[in-house]
Amino acid sequence: MNRSAIAISVIARITGVPEESLVPETELVADLDMDSAKALELIVELEDRFEIEIGDDDAAGMNTVGDVLATIASVGSSRDRS
Amino acid sequence: MSDIFTNLPSDLRELVRLAGVDHRDRGITIFDGRGRNPDRRSYAHLFKLATATAARFDAIGIGAGEPVMVALPTSWEWLQAWMGLLFCGALPVASSGASGLAAAETQLSKVDQVMGAIGARHVIASAAFRDQAAAGGFDLAHAGVITPEEVQAAEPTQGFEPPPIGADDVAFLQLTSGSTGLPRAVMITHKGAVHNPAANCQGASGQMREPIQDWVECMASWLPLYHDMGLVGCLLLPMLVGFELRLLRPQTFLARPMLWLRELGTNGLSFAPAPNFGYQLCVERIKPRDLEGVDLSNFKVALTGAEMVRRETADAFVEAFSPFGFTPESVVPCYGLAEATLAVTFDEAGQGVRTLPAPAGTDAGFGMSEVVSVGRPIRDTRVEIVAPDGRKLGEDAAGEVCISGPGIFAGYYGDDKATAESLIDGWYRTGDLGFLHDGELYLTGRIKDVLIVRGHNLMPDEIERLADRVTGGGGLVRSAAFSVTRGSAGEEPVLVVESADDDVGRLAAVAREIKIEVGRALGLPIADVVFVRRGRIPRTTSGKMQRSEVRRRYLEGTLDVIRSEG
Repeated sequence: MNRSAIAISVIARITGVPEESLVPETELVADLDMDSAKALELIVELEDRFEIEIGDDDAAGMNTVGDVLATIASVGSSRDRS
Repeated sequence: MSDIFTNLPSDLRELVRLAGVDHRDRGITIFDGRGRNPDRRSYAHLFKLATATAARFDAIGIGAGEPVMVALPTSWEWLQAWMGLLFCGALPVASSGASGLAAAETQLSKVDQVMGAIGARHVIASAAFRDQAAAGGFDLAHAGVITPEEVQAAEPTQGFEPPPIGADDVAFLQLTSGSTGLPRAVMITHKGAVHNPAANCQGASGQMREPIQDWVECMASWLPLYHDMGLVGCLLLPMLVGFELRLLRPQTFLARPMLWLRELGTNGLSFAPAPNFGYQLCVERIKPRDLEGVDLSNFKVALTGAEMVRRETADAFVEAFSPFGFTPESVVPCYGLAEATLAVTFDEAGQGVRTLPAPAGTDAGFGMSEVVSVGRPIRDTRVEIVAPDGRKLGEDAAGEVCISGPGIFAGYYGDDKATAESLIDGWYRTGDLGFLHDGELYLTGRIKDVLIVRGHNLMPDEIERLADRVTGGGGLVRSAAFSVTRGSAGEEPVLVVESADDDVGRLAAVAREIKIEVGRALGLPIADVVFVRRGRIPRTTSGKMQRSEVRRRYLEGTLDVIRSEG
């Protein structure tokens, strides 16, 4: 499984929403009822899975499923470059 | 040392100093944002840090009596800043930090507004905070932000002596939700800051043979230090009585609630407070395998307060964790608020959660069939129930909860009008509703419109303003936000919007847009967006929106709804 597929499966498990209904435009709070506890559960799980660190600023900028995928991609790539 | 009141410190600085003298072997361990890298230092070290930092603040030009914000996560930098300000004679004001998915601008604009309202020149915050403030165009970015590194780099004033203080002087400001979404700065006196934690210990000891300070060894907390329960209950109280303190960041607990219970179950006999939703989160998220090797028979006093205490939650917590040794009588409901420094009442019975049927006619908005005893007033504190016309009510009659005692705040900083409205002859009108039965307080609802959702207090305006941005309302078209309680989730926000349009498809799109607007700004899901016809949101003759009436009609199903989701 690639990173995006893993991230989608984590979001699906935490929110109880089936993977196939998650699209990049899906809003984390408005569509998935993600409250702060679920958001932090998601962030920590992604950090552990991918051995990355998602800062508060990155977290605050995550509005959609697409944003989550973009964040893990960019955090990962900056780590790889350094 | 059975009676904690015989040698009470004279003021909050003395409390901090004595912690380092009387409890030399005890201290504070703070975990990083991941719940790792514990950093332990003694109370004696904290006192030294506070006095040394005070001399640096003085050198920077922080003046006596000046309010200074602290916007840092739970960390030694936080303690150093807050305590340093206390010893320098300034008024520390802790403010909330970043939270999950909520937009950074939401926090920044709140800090900015509060600083403007109370006339604070400075906020102690990170360099990243300063960069964000600059990028967002906030005034505070220019001179306002001082980083912990800059404080540390300042050459301390030689021979600096903290300015003298008296017991009735203001020690710090505690932010709490105001009526318009802008926080109010509650003035807490030195007397209150010392008396209240002492009275809390006495209250929590209740029917136990020995006072808790004689046998509890550890407190573990994840409560934010900018919240009264986090600051007074989980920092000042353990320092007063010398508990070993283990501090997690709120975000760490929300991501991994098991870390809190692990701390409580592996560090000797323990004591900890949390709001109802914290216990609920433990029930929902912790799996038995997370608690291997954890003995929760150590968790002797589990305080529950700061939001409506729900029997279902307490029962579920006991059921989930009794296999790990947790006992039902350890649950101690209590009631407190920022304007009382912290606690007002404690259930001293030592019998776990006790309830009465909710009396007829009480606010049904919370949807509870039983109400929980939050116990009797703590030492030197009085509770009266008052009718809307100001008449004092007898037992079993529900009305507004009014309180007086040494912990009552000295007023709202820089807001004499708000102070005069709520603080009359030493009595504070809480805006909470309840009744007394056999001298014990039972809460039934609230007059004030605040929503308390998963530990976050927010005012309806904060949601309504965001909704108005979508609908273009605020003028003729209005919206009303309030909370309802359904099942175990606790309070959930509901938004009612007036609409001239009755096309259900178009309204569905508007509802989603509103949810996105609120979700992005506040990180808060809305349980239901309801559209009603224009003019259906009731107002008083003076034009003030009656949110409690909207909520009543919503729950009754008499709102004349065009479209809803609930």
